[in-house]
Amino acid sequence: MITRNIKIINKHGLHTRPATAFVTLASRFKSDIFLIYNGVRVNAKSILGLLVLAVEPGSTVTVEADGVDEAEAVESLDKLAQNKFNLE
Amino acid sequence: MKKIKGVKISPGVVSGPVFYFERVKISVPGHFIGDEDFDSEIERFNTAVQKSKDELTQVRDLVLDHLDEEHARIIDVQLLAIQDEDMIKAVRELMLREKKNVTWAYFEVMDNYEKLLLKTYSKFFKERTSDLKDIKKRVIHHLSPKKDILQPEILEPSIIIAEKVSPSDLIHIDHKLMLGIITRYGGVDSHAGILARAFRVPYISNIEVIDELASCKEIILDADNGTILLDFTDDIKASYKSRIRDFRRHRGKIISGKVANSTKDGTPYHIYINAGFVDEVKAMDPALIQGIGLFRTEFLCIERNSIPGEDEQFKAYRNVLKKMKGLPVVFRVFDFGRDKLLAMLDIELLQEDHLFDEWGGIGFLLDNPAILKAQLRALLRASVYGNTQIMLPLVMFDEEVILTKNMLEAIKMELRKAGIPFSDNIKLGAMIETSSVLDELDELAKHVDFFSIGTNDLALYLIGSGRALDLTKNYYHPKIFQAIDKIVKAGKKAGIPVDVCGEMASDPYALIGLTALGIRSISVSSSALTAVSDEVSKLDVKKCSELADTILSTDNALAIYSILKKFHQDNLE
Repeated sequence: MITRNIKIINKHGLHTRPATAFVTLASRFKSDIFLIYNGVRVNAKSILGLLVLAVEPGSTVTVEADGVDEAEAVESLDKLAQNKFNLE
Repeated sequence: MKKIKGVKISPGVVSGPVFYFERVKISVPGHFIGDEDFDSEIERFNTAVQKSKDELTQVRDLVLDHLDEEHARIIDVQLLAIQDEDMIKAVRELMLREKKNVTWAYFEVMDNYEKLLLKTYSKFFKERTSDLKDIKKRVIHHLSPKKDILQPEILEPSIIIAEKVSPSDLIHIDHKLMLGIITRYGGVDSHAGILARAFRVPYISNIEVIDELASCKEIILDADNGTILLDFTDDIKASYKSRIRDFRRHRGKIISGKVANSTKDGTPYHIYINAGFVDEVKAMDPALIQGIGLFRTEFLCIERNSIPGEDEQFKAYRNVLKKMKGLPVVFRVFDFGRDKLLAMLDIELLQEDHLFDEWGGIGFLLDNPAILKAQLRALLRASVYGNTQIMLPLVMFDEEVILTKNMLEAIKMELRKAGIPFSDNIKLGAMIETSSVLDELDELAKHVDFFSIGTNDLALYLIGSGRALDLTKNYYHPKIFQAIDKIVKAGKKAGIPVDVCGEMASDPYALIGLTALGIRSISVSSSALTAVSDEVSKLDVKKCSELADTILSTDNALAIYSILKKFHQDNLE
C-alpha cells in the first residue's frame, strides 16, 4: 500500500468536473484507492463519496492505493491534480 | 380588490383555488421483503440502473454533438453516480440488514448522500443535490411498476402557482386538475409555454408575488388580458362568470365549427394545426379541421426524457394518422435545437447566451444516422394508416435533402424485402428557417415537394440577437417579409406549395402581410385556430395583395405594423 499527499490547486476544489475526472481515472486501476480529507476516508472510485467530501480549493488530500498497480495509480492521480484535472 | 399584471403565455380565463407547486416528491413503497425476494429485487435494481444508464448515455451523445463538452459533463457526473459502486453496496447492505425493498433502500441511500451534501460548507456542493435528485427520479421511475408515480398530489382542480414549470411538469400533471398556470419565470416561446397553449391551459408569467398568490383562497386568472385578480368582491366575480363559462365550454374543443377553407372572396385557404403530442391530437375532430401542418416529433422525447425506439414511435405516428382519418399530417423529424435538448434534459442553460450557432435540424440527424433511420422507418411503417408527409427542419443545403431521400429509399428496400407495407406517396418538404438557405432555394426546390416557413427561427437568423424577446414584435420586421416574398416566389417558380408554420400566422396583422405576399396555407397552434379561422374568412385576397409592394418597400417594422393594423381596422373590423 502506498499513500501520497496531493494538493488540489484548481480554482473550485473537487467539484463536479474534477471529481468526475478523478473517479473516472481511479476506476481504471485494479487497486483499491481511497481519498482521505479532514479525517474522512472515501472510496476514490465513488463519485458520490467524493462529492460528499466537498474538497475545497487549496486543500491537501491523501490518496491511498493498495493493489497490483498502486504506484501507477497514485502517480497518475497526482499528475491529474497537478494538471488541474485538464480543465483550466 | 387587487390586480396583478403579468405576461400572457397562453390565453383563457379561469377562476379557482390555487395550488403551490413544487417539484414532486417521489412515492416510495414501504414494504419489507423476504430473503427469497432478495435476488429478484437486486435483479430489478440492476435492470433499472442499466436502463437509466442507457438513456443517459444516449442523451450524453446528443448533448456532446449538439451543445458542448460543458453540458455533457453534467451528464457524466450523473452517469457515474447512477452506477456508483459504494452506493450499490450500501443499497445491498440496507436490504440485507433491514429487509427493505430495493426502491426503499435505494431511496434511503440516495437521501443520505443528499443530506451529507447539504451539510457541506460550500454552496457549490449543496447545489449538486439537484443531480442526485435527477438520477434518483430516473432510477426509481424504472423501478416502479406503475410509471405515473411522478404526479403531484393535486386534490381538486386548481390554478398552479410555481416559480417555474418545466415541460415534463406540464406533461405529468393531470390536465383535469390544472385550471391555469402562474409562474415567476417563463417565456412565450418556452417549451412549457408551447405546451400550455397545446393543452389550452391559461398561463401567465413574470409574476413576482408568487408567495402572496400561494396564500390566496380563490383567484381569477384572466390570461387574455394578462391579469390576475385577488381579494375580489362577488360583483367582480359575477362579471367574469360568462367569460369563464365560455372558456370552460370551449376548452375541451379545438374549434366549435368547421375551420374556414377559403377567404371572404372565395380564394381557397388552408389552415392546419401545429401539434406535438398524441394526446393533443385526440381532442381534434377530423370532421372540422383540415389536418396537422406541423407535428413536432421531438416532443415525444420531451415527454419521456429520452428518444423513443422505432416501435414506440411507430405506434405514436400510427395513432395520430388513424385519428386524422386521411387528413394530411406533416411530421417534422426530430428537431433537436439547443432549447429542445435542454427541455428534454430538463436542465438549465449553464450560461444565458443568445448565440444560436449550434442548431440541430436535419444536419444533426444526418450526423446521427441511427436516430434518423429509426424515425424514418417508424414513419414509413405508419404511413399506410393515413396521409403522411415528412418535413425536414433547418435545412441548410440541398445535399441534406438528397441524403435523407437516399436513406428513405434504402429503408423502403428493406421494408419491401421484409414484406412490411408502406405508402409510396409520401410528400417530403423542407423547412426554410435559416438565412443561408435563402440563396439555395431554386436548387432546393428541385428535391422537395413543398417548402414550409418556420417563422420563429427565421426571425432568429435574420434579426439575430437584436430580436425582441416578445416574438410578436419580430413578425413585422422588413427582413422577414422580404425573405418570405423570396421563398413564395421560389416556390411558384418551381411549382411547389409554400406554407407558414410558425406562430407568426396566428397574429391577425401579420396574417394580412403573409396573405398579401401570396401565402395560402398556414399552420397554427390549436389555441389560435378559432381566431385565425375567423380572420381568414374575413380576408379579401385581392385587397390584401395590393399591400404587397408597400410592405416590401417599407424599411422599418413599426411602419409595416401600422400599415397592417390600419388595413385590419379598415377592412376586417
